[in-house]
Amino acid sequence: MSFLTPLFLLGLAALAIPVLVHLTQRERKSVIAFPSLMFLKKIPYESVQKRRIRDWLLLALRLAALALIVAAFARPFLRGSDVAAAPGGARDIVVLLDRSYSMGYGDSWSRAQQVAAESIASATPADRISVVLFADNADVARRATPDRSRAVAEINAASPGPGATKFGPALKLAGSLLAESLLPRKEVIVVSDFQRSGWQPDDTLRLPGGTVITTAVVEGATGPSLALTPATLLRTRDAGQPERVTVTAGVLNRTAADAAGVPVQLEMDGRIVQTLAVNVAGGASASVTFSPVSIAASTTRATVRLGTDTPAGVAVQTGVAPAASAIDALARDNVFNFVITPSAPVPVTVVTQGSRADANLYLSRALAIGEAPRFETSLQSVDALAGDAASRTRLLILNDVAVPEAAAARLVTFVEGGGGLLIALGPRATWPALREAWLPAVIGPPVDRTRGAAAKLSGMDYGHAVFEPFRAPRSGDFSTARFYSYRGLKAAKDATVLARFDTGEPALVEKAVGRGRVVLFASTIDLSWNDLALKPVFLPFVHQLGRHLSGFREQPAYLTIGEVLDITAAEIAAGATSTAAAGSETGRTVLAPSGQRRDLSVNSESMASAGALELVEQGFYEVRGAGREAGPVIVAAANVSLAESNLDRMDPKELVAGVTGTGAAGSSGAQDVLPDEAQELAQRVWWYLLFAGILLLIAETVLAQRLSRATR
Amino acid sequence: MSVHQPIPGARFVDPAVLARIGNLEMVAKTVVDGLINGTHRSPFFGASVDFAEHRGYVAGDDIRRVDWRVYARTDKYYIKEFEADSNSNFSVLLDVSKSMSFGEKISKLDYAKTLAACLTYLANQQRDRVGLVTFDEQIVDHVPPSAKHLDVVLHTLDRARAEKPGHLVAPIRRLAEHFGRRGIIVVISDFYAEPEEVFDAVGLLRFRGNDVVLFHVLDPQEVDFSFVEPSSFEDLESGDQIPVVPAALAEQYRSLVAAHIEALTTRASQQQIDYMLLNTSQPLDYALFRFLSMRERMARTR
Repeated sequence: MSFLTPLFLLGLAALAIPVLVHLTQRERKSVIAFPSLMFLKKIPYESVQKRRIRDWLLLALRLAALALIVAAFARPFLRGSDVAAAPGGARDIVVLLDRSYSMGYGDSWSRAQQVAAESIASATPADRISVVLFADNADVARRATPDRSRAVAEINAASPGPGATKFGPALKLAGSLLAESLLPRKEVIVVSDFQRSGWQPDDTLRLPGGTVITTAVVEGATGPSLALTPATLLRTRDAGQPERVTVTAGVLNRTAADAAGVPVQLEMDGRIVQTLAVNVAGGASASVTFSPVSIAASTTRATVRLGTDTPAGVAVQTGVAPAASAIDALARDNVFNFVITPSAPVPVTVVTQGSRADANLYLSRALAIGEAPRFETSLQSVDALAGDAASRTRLLILNDVAVPEAAAARLVTFVEGGGGLLIALGPRATWPALREAWLPAVIGPPVDRTRGAAAKLSGMDYGHAVFEPFRAPRSGDFSTARFYSYRGLKAAKDATVLARFDTGEPALVEKAVGRGRVVLFASTIDLSWNDLALKPVFLPFVHQLGRHLSGFREQPAYLTIGEVLDITAAEIAAGATSTAAAGSETGRTVLAPSGQRRDLSVNSESMASAGALELVEQGFYEVRGAGREAGPVIVAAANVSLAESNLDRMDPKELVAGVTGTGAAGSSGAQDVLPDEAQELAQRVWWYLLFAGILLLIAETVLAQRLSRATR
Repeated sequence: MSVHQPIPGARFVDPAVLARIGNLEMVAKTVVDGLINGTHRSPFFGASVDFAEHRGYVAGDDIRRVDWRVYARTDKYYIKEFEADSNSNFSVLLDVSKSMSFGEKISKLDYAKTLAACLTYLANQQRDRVGLVTFDEQIVDHVPPSAKHLDVVLHTLDRARAEKPGHLVAPIRRLAEHFGRRGIIVVISDFYAEPEEVFDAVGLLRFRGNDVVLFHVLDPQEVDFSFVEPSSFEDLESGDQIPVVPAALAEQYRSLVAAHIEALTTRASQQQIDYMLLNTSQPLDYALFRFLSMRERMARTR
């Protein structure tokens, strides 16, 4: 027997109190003043009743109650081997059940459910069971329940999802659950197929001290394991012909056995377009290229599938993996979804003034080159800006144009609505003085550098999106361009200087206005004031400016589950004008692969308000804008992580060692002797002692009252 | 203890009621008037002289009665006139020790003060000179006997408080030297001292020819010891405490008190001292009547 707080045993000195009370209380109940004790003192002492204990039972009760209470405060417990013999106290069990899609391999999932249920079969009603389902993320399905049947029900109700195994978040969640636990024994049971890809050693990942980690490895049936790698698209465009796309799919053989004649079929919009057979050597990969297909005007949902189990022409849920596959036991990685979108051009309007259309020759040619994105350039006179021409474009370029007030007002509206504006300054460029503050810089008089050394560009902000491609060495030299004249600029406080001349004066200044951007270039985009258009950096520079100002982001043909779809960028890439994109943000509807429809309003979720959508299901998501000015329909393909299809297993000991730092694996990693506090907490002897003490005090009260009545 | 009988002609007066009156003169008058109406005879016989006034010398006057001090101041002869010298000195020696403050309904001191006032009033009515000495362990107040000191005595009695521990012998020894002239000395006390000590002290008064009367004032609880609950008993004077279970020692206590009273009675008789035990539960006039009757009987026998 040991005590957690032995100092409380000093309280046993209180046992003297009832004895003293017995000896003194009855005689000293009251003090009577008496004239003289002369006669009383003459009476022999024996006749004055000695202080003696008469109520032995009462005294014994009081002493026992006090002793029990003092002992309770000292927190006694049985140490060491006694504990081992005893049940050891209540446990806080956290079951981590891997629900990644690799658990759907054969009968792995049913066996994982069985193992998880068995692992908590020994739980007593005093134990608390938490069930955590994890893949990419970890969710608490049932928290600290004493009811084992509920925990088992949660386990049985779960099913493997499309996510990939990641042990880190799950172990962190288990650690936080156990850190809040007051129970003496803590246990984590990990039920998984322990794929190596799911474990990233993390020094910050530690479970609370004394936590026992039990690992249950669920091994699926052995057999072939094939997976599709991401398909590549090769776009070709012949003049006067629609764009054609050649799809090349890769097949990966995870097993040592060769796979011969594996059927690979390409489906487009639910129709089987072509089926090919491929031979894949063991542990190797092979690619298969389908015949080029012409792309229709709209977005095409394409799926590459291993096997031919889906009947042709039947597409209940396009892109979703079938429940079982003849190819191998793991179905989800036998499907690869992607979206073929006709490359929508970014509408660019170059504003000219009078007969100086030739001045934009270099600019127009530069914009005409390139596929991602493809800029569709149109020329517009500055006078026509007063119409609604601006609403049909995403980028306006003013090359040395004198802007009247009416056009300036239109430009302001255009930019604040989300459009991009590039103003190149030449000798004729002017801007209404009333709206000068709106520009990123105050436009000064021309600076003549025709005599002496011409000005050069230096001090580029390589961290900015415009110059980011030129960051690496030999990625483009702007210093070779000579600037013979330029307009002096004085940057506004809220503007960003992206490049300067070698004199330190701003050369390129940017400012975000409303939802759009304005960039002011201090010189012309032709050969009148500089020879930048003749330099190799001109083309990528103009393209980067165009991409940046138009808000274009290249949209991938597919995404992986867990990634976030940028809806706004996708709409722009699909050819939405600034007006349409702005209108769509007021409300969107998402149709998930499972058929679930969800409205994304601005106020509904933070993710939605930012125009983003997290992909959690395998298949095709469809996003539609609401309203009259709705943008194009966005279709995004979501695929499972290819890493999850790699069933190579890690040694569970590695995970245990990484979390506990001991290297002891499995249940042997249990702490043999619990700390004193845990042992004491588990046994709770103090509670029984305190209860007994209180009972004795009640009995003492009743007895004392009866004795008191009897003496009266 | 004793069961008093209705006294013919005497009014029943509860001492507790009297104590609440406060004015001792009125109390004494109330008690004594009723008493005298029943007794007809006073037992006090005075034989002393007291200054009354000066008058001019006339031929034939005894020159021993010329006041030579006045002559020295005025250069004239004055004769000192004295009051009738048939009355005696009547002095009350009142114990005001702390133990006298005890009492359930009326304290022993209040009872004793009323008694002293009554006796003084009676004596004054007899034309005796009245005086008072209050004492605890030493003399507290001293009013010399005089025919005109009734008010002073009563006022002094009224002021008397039982505050200090008492000692019977030392003050009485000092007083014995003081009482040069024979008279009647009444000692009122609870006599918490051994009988030998008591009579060693009062014997000195007696030996000087004084007529000594002892009034032993006790509270009923001191006599009966009717306490029930075991308690700590605290000596009022010394502050000592002893735990006492009354049921176990009441009998022995009562016998000790009875023995003490018996010893006092015996020694008083031996020394021809009047001794009277007074219980504060008894009416004062009843106590006085008993005492005066006893004095009368004894006067006849002496």
